[in-house]
Amino acid sequence: MPVLELKNIIKNYPDGQNVNEVLKEINFHVNQGEFAAIVGPSGAGKSTLLTIMGALLSPTSGSVLLNNQDIGQLSKKQQTDIRLNKIGFIFQNSDLIPYLKISDQLKFIQKISNKNPIDSDKILKELGLGHRLNSYPNALSGGEKQRVAIARAFINQPDLILADEPTASLDSKRGHEVVKIIQETVHQQNKAAVMVTHDERVLDLVDSIWQIEDGRLKRVKA
Amino acid sequence: MFLTLKELRHEKIKFSALSLIIFLIVFLVLFITGLANGLANDSGSAIKETPAQTFILQKGSQSRLNRSNLTNSDWDKFKSSNAAKLSVTQATIQKAANKDKKTDIAYFITDKNSFLAPKNQSGEKIYASSKLQASGYKVGDKFKDSNTNKTFTIAGFTDKESYSHSPVIYLTFKQAQGITMSNSFNAIALKKNLTKKSGYQVITKQNLIDNIPGYSAEQSSLYLMIGFLYVISLFVLAVFFYIINLQKMKDFGTLKALGTKTSYLVKHVLSEMGILSGVAIILASLVTYFIQLKMPASMPFSLSFSTLLATGILFLVIALLSALLSLIKVIKVDPINAIGGNN
Ligand SMILES: Nc1ncnc2c1ncn2[C@@H]1O[C@H](COP(=O)(O)OP(=O)(O)O)[C@@H](O)[C@H]1O
Ligand SMILES: [Mg+2]
Repeated sequence: MPVLELKNIIKNYPDGQNVNEVLKEINFHVNQGEFAAIVGPSGAGKSTLLTIMGALLSPTSGSVLLNNQDIGQLSKKQQTDIRLNKIGFIFQNSDLIPYLKISDQLKFIQKISNKNPIDSDKILKELGLGHRLNSYPNALSGGEKQRVAIARAFINQPDLILADEPTASLDSKRGHEVVKIIQETVHQQNKAAVMVTHDERVLDLVDSIWQIEDGRLKRVKA
Repeated sequence: MFLTLKELRHEKIKFSALSLIIFLIVFLVLFITGLANGLANDSGSAIKETPAQTFILQKGSQSRLNRSNLTNSDWDKFKSSNAAKLSVTQATIQKAANKDKKTDIAYFITDKNSFLAPKNQSGEKIYASSKLQASGYKVGDKFKDSNTNKTFTIAGFTDKESYSHSPVIYLTFKQAQGITMSNSFNAIALKKNLTKKSGYQVITKQNLIDNIPGYSAEQSSLYLMIGFLYVISLFVLAVFFYIINLQKMKDFGTLKALGTKTSYLVKHVLSEMGILSGVAIILASLVTYFIQLKMPASMPFSLSFSTLLATGILFLVIALLSALLSLIKVIKVDPINAIGGNN
């Protein structure tokens, strides 16, 4: 059974007199324990698609089923709650909060969530960040920051992980390492994950690949 | 609060600077407020501290004691234990032994045992407000009225009563013979409320104080300054706080994307401003309090605890209002900006 399923998603943006059809009849699914990648040229609609998956944007039409619940047309408040409890985000530039120490980056999520907290420091240690628990983000390298972002995405035990070009600010070696960590965690914890990427060199790590071009999505590797 | 405390701790310099600005403004406001209150007391406390509520003046005297002239036939209409005759005469005295040093004073002339008179007033013994001590007078000193050369001995001091910035010397009509006209006086003070009496001007105590020469001019200019300080601080704090928060909009977007409720962020911004201004207000109050203790007696400065508290609360409200601009921005920030940062 898919964790996330998109059915006939259309997203239009008004463009002067016309409408800009950014996403056209998109169908997509990702299962538990599956790490999916979406690739495509710039301007193809990857970010738009990811924000719809992440309950940050409502589609013009179509349904977004997360564990069979349609999250496509929720109120802002309900969307916020879904993002907190059901989805883990990994952003392009890791986007850590500059005034929180590394261990507090995770503790903050646990603080605003009602779920029972798991040992966040242990998770950071397993990702090789044990010596960084009391550092602020500006002391960390790009790769370290992205590992913290990965830990933060998983900390609230979400069903779905969404990663937005997680390797964009890393060299290819570090990029590959970071995606490998995502892959291993997804498989270990049996989560569903979707990664948007430009980076062809990390595609050996994913379970399925989808290509988006001119607003249309098709599966290129099962 | 989690975010607030962590952020205050991490951004010590930035927030200390903001707190310092608030501290300086609050301190200035408190200082001018203390000065305004001090000058108000210096101008009218001899009237203000009496139990009188209403003053009867001659019709057409424009609420000014010195323009009012009443006689015993007027007194007969008001005579009671809750009424008292009052004459106020501004004059100059000098030490009997030292003719060169003169001091401006105000005589408060009342009937012996009236509710305006200090207790124990009798014979040649007279009482003066303790403010006269600042001019070097002690109990037992003799002084001479410069105009009439009448000599008196100071029997004791009352509180710090003052009239039009001068110390007050209390006399009975009998003692004041020669200094003021006999059988006439300026006003009748009543302990009760009265709004009208045909043939007289009836005014409240505050109305009388407002018309002491110089009082209104001093007070209105000082309160104008205080008012401006509140307005200025509202804008200055709003701008500073807005700039500080503007730098954090991306973080607010990320926090929202991660599932932080907007209401949580609103509380965060408000408690941040609340803590900063709270600390600044408490420090400014303490500093003002200690300065007041060290201030020379001749400096008119007075700040009661209730004024201090009211100023502090008013300032906290101003500070929180100044956070409004930032709040609107925080509420509006769209979490969608967290995704697709490359575009
Ligand atoms: N908020 C918006 N308003 C109007 N057009 C938008 C908006 N966001 C994205 N678009 C348009 O949608 C298209 C796809 O953008 P995007 O999803 O960011 O592509 P990608 O992430 O693949 O580069 C682009 O043509 C872009 O101009
Ligand atoms: Mg994009």
